[in-house]
This record gives sequence, C-alpha cells and structure tokens, in this order.
Amino acid sequence: MAIPVLKNGDVLIASIQAALTDRDLVELRDEIAEQVGRHRSRAVVVDVTALDVLDSFATRTLRSIAYTAKLRGAEAVVVGIQPDVAFAMVELGLHLESVATALDLEEGLAYVRAAERSRARAG
Amino acid sequence: MERDQPSVAQTLMHEMGLDSGAIERRKRVVALEPDDLTRIAAVKHLVVEDAEGHTAAFFNHFANLDEARGLLSSKALLERARQLQKQHLRALVSGVYDLGYIEQRIEYAAVFASAGLEPRVFLGAFHMLLRSVGTSIMKRFEGSPTDAFESFMSLKKAAFFDIGVVNDVLVFERERLIRQQQESIRELSTPVLQVRERLLLLPIIGVIDTQRARFITESVLRSIRANRAKVVVMDITGVATIDSKVANHILQTVTAARLMGTQVIVTGLSPEVAQSLVALGIELSKLRTVGDLQGGLEEAEDILGYRMVARDGARPVAAAPALD
Repeated sequence: MAIPVLKNGDVLIASIQAALTDRDLVELRDEIAEQVGRHRSRAVVVDVTALDVLDSFATRTLRSIAYTAKLRGAEAVVVGIQPDVAFAMVELGLHLESVATALDLEEGLAYVRAAERSRARAG
Repeated sequence: MERDQPSVAQTLMHEMGLDSGAIERRKRVVALEPDDLTRIAAVKHLVVEDAEGHTAAFFNHFANLDEARGLLSSKALLERARQLQKQHLRALVSGVYDLGYIEQRIEYAAVFASAGLEPRVFLGAFHMLLRSVGTSIMKRFEGSPTDAFESFMSLKKAAFFDIGVVNDVLVFERERLIRQQQESIRELSTPVLQVRERLLLLPIIGVIDTQRARFITESVLRSIRANRAKVVVMDITGVATIDSKVANHILQTVTAARLMGTQVIVTGLSPEVAQSLVALGIELSKLRTVGDLQGGLEEAEDILGYRMVARDGARPVAAAPALD
C-alpha cells in the first residue's frame, strides 16, 4: 500500500494508516527523498499513530528517512509513537537516536515551526 | 454442564490451570491406578451407607478447634460445607475423577477458603474423616486385615488426590489476597501528577525492582498520552540506592518517553547515588539531571515557556539556566 505524502506549505506530512510491509517503508523513504527536493520542503513529519508495532527494520528505515531528509535540507520529526510501542522499542533496544520525536501531529508541526523560528533567528 | 456464566469454581479451575492434562498428572502423583478403582468400588457401600456418620466425624473435630471459628460462626457456610462434604464422600467412591469431579472439589474447597480456614486445620479434620471411614472398612474386613489395609490405602490415594486440590485452592486464595494487596501498594506508590499544563511530576520512593520499573514506565507513558505532557520531572530523592539494573530502568523510561516526544528531567540524585552511578560507569549522557526537585521544576517550566514572577513584579523567581 502506497503511503500518501501530503504537502502543506514547506512541510511534508506522511501519515501511515495501516501496518506496513518492509517494501512500503522503503518506497516511503524514496518518495520522501524525492519530494523534499521537488517541493523544496524544510521539514518532514512522519505520523506513526496508527502503527501498533515498530520493529528494527521499521526503526532503521525511519532513521534513514530522517537522515536522508536532513541531507536534502529538511528536518524530519517522527510523531505519534504509542505508549506500548515506545515501551516495546526500548525493550528491544531500538532508540531512534538523534531523530526528533513529538507526541502527535500537532506537536510535530509546532516543533517544526519552533525550529524554523530559531533558524531564522540564527540566520 | 452448560452455563451462561462460569461459576466461581469454574473460574478458579481456569485460573489455577486445572485442565484434563493437569488432572491426569495429579492422578499419577498419588499413583491412582485401575486396581485401586476396583478396590474402592468394593468398599463403596461402606462409605455411602454411613455418609452421615463420616461427615459428623469431620465436623465434630472442628467443634474443639479455635482455628475453625470462622467456619462455625456462619450457619449458612457450615450447612453448605456439610452438604458438600456428603457429596464429596459419594463422589470419592464413585471411581470417576474427571473435570466435573475437580470442579466439585474446588467448590468444596472454596467454602473452606471463604471461611478463612488454614490448610492444617482442614487436614486435621480430614484425617478424622478418613479415620471414620477406615474404621468401618476394618470392621467389614475383620477376618483379613491385609485386604482391609489394601482397600483403605486405595481409598486414601483418592483422598490424597482431593487433599492436593483442596490445599491448592486454600493456598491459591490466600495468595490472591497477597497479590491484590501488592497490586494496590504498587499503584499507590507511584503516582503520576500533573503540576502544570503539560508538565508531569513522578516522585519515586522506595525500592525499584524490575516489576515496579515496568509498572512505572507503563504508567508514565500512559499519562504522557493522556495529559499530552511535554516534560516529565522524575524525582528520585526517595530512592536510597541505585544499582546498574535500576539505572537501566530509569534510562529505559527516559528513552521511551523521548520516543513519544517528551523530555524527562531526573532530579534528586543524592551524592551517594551520583557516586555509585559514576562508579558503575553507566552511560548517562542521555540523562538530563538537575540537583533538586525545585531546580527540575524550574527547568521544566522554562522549557514550556513559563516564567514565574513574584506578585509585586519586582523579583523574577524562576531564573532557570539557559537551555543547551
């Protein structure tokens, strides 16, 4: 199942709505990498609220989405990790290091805006 | 028997994991064999005929015991126990020891459990019951004591099969009480409190073991979602000692909260705790620590963009250090 990637201003939003195969995830990664360049996006929000499991492959792919986006000039935020999922991930030693996280889509967008502001101040 | 709702005995049976496989194993434990069933059948009438007398022997024993007061003080309970005891005697010699039989025995044991009877008191009375049954068997086989002994021993195997079940029920019910108490202690001991909008406080007091750490992590994560928390202040002033296991539990909680987009500030590390963490060589770079609870709350408020000002407006109180 292809995951829709929505564009909202200079933010891309990928909302995952159903359990994913590894292949779907890889396609999502490629899609985001491509669209970040096409829309000149500054941020990517990946919403995983609907997922009740995140295995090591999914975690690794989320991380590589974040790094890829970063290299293409956009910051990525993973939002909506459920309590049970977070707990299971920690038990499995999956930490999603150095990837920004937020409670839900709203928080993720707020985070993106705040990052933008601080970038504007710094620049 | 088909019922809409499982009975108390059926529920207990399920909770204790008593299925047909377990029953077969229990029969092996007491070495109940086909030969025994034949011998039991031969003395069946002796037990059934004088069921009243045997039951009386069982209950008369309680009359002299202070420990059985719980049972004797309730007329309804006692009457029910008498009834079930007679049913038990009839079933004991029926030669069928299946799921239905176990269900009856559990119901029987549950009555004693609800009267708060200790296993040893039950055993004392049960011995009197067996003695009464044994006496009538000995009388019947007066000419051949060996046969009497063999028959009685076969019956005793079935009786011990029952004792096993009854004892397990009594112990299980007592442990249930302990489990319930532990559960409520755990819940009381780890409150997650909202201090401000989107700021949670988690004071931890006492010993953290693996089970409690798990419970803490789960309740924090649930509260983060429920309160949409952005910052959690975890105060461990009340934790006297920390070993590497506990430290890892704390790190796990912090990491899991971060995955949900929430920052955790750990406060109240005593000098001893700080030193032992360093000595243990635990990687703490991921941990954001502040000396005391006050400092932690101030830092959390700073993250959330609050600034606390004294009413006269002269003196800003919460002068938190700048963020990294």
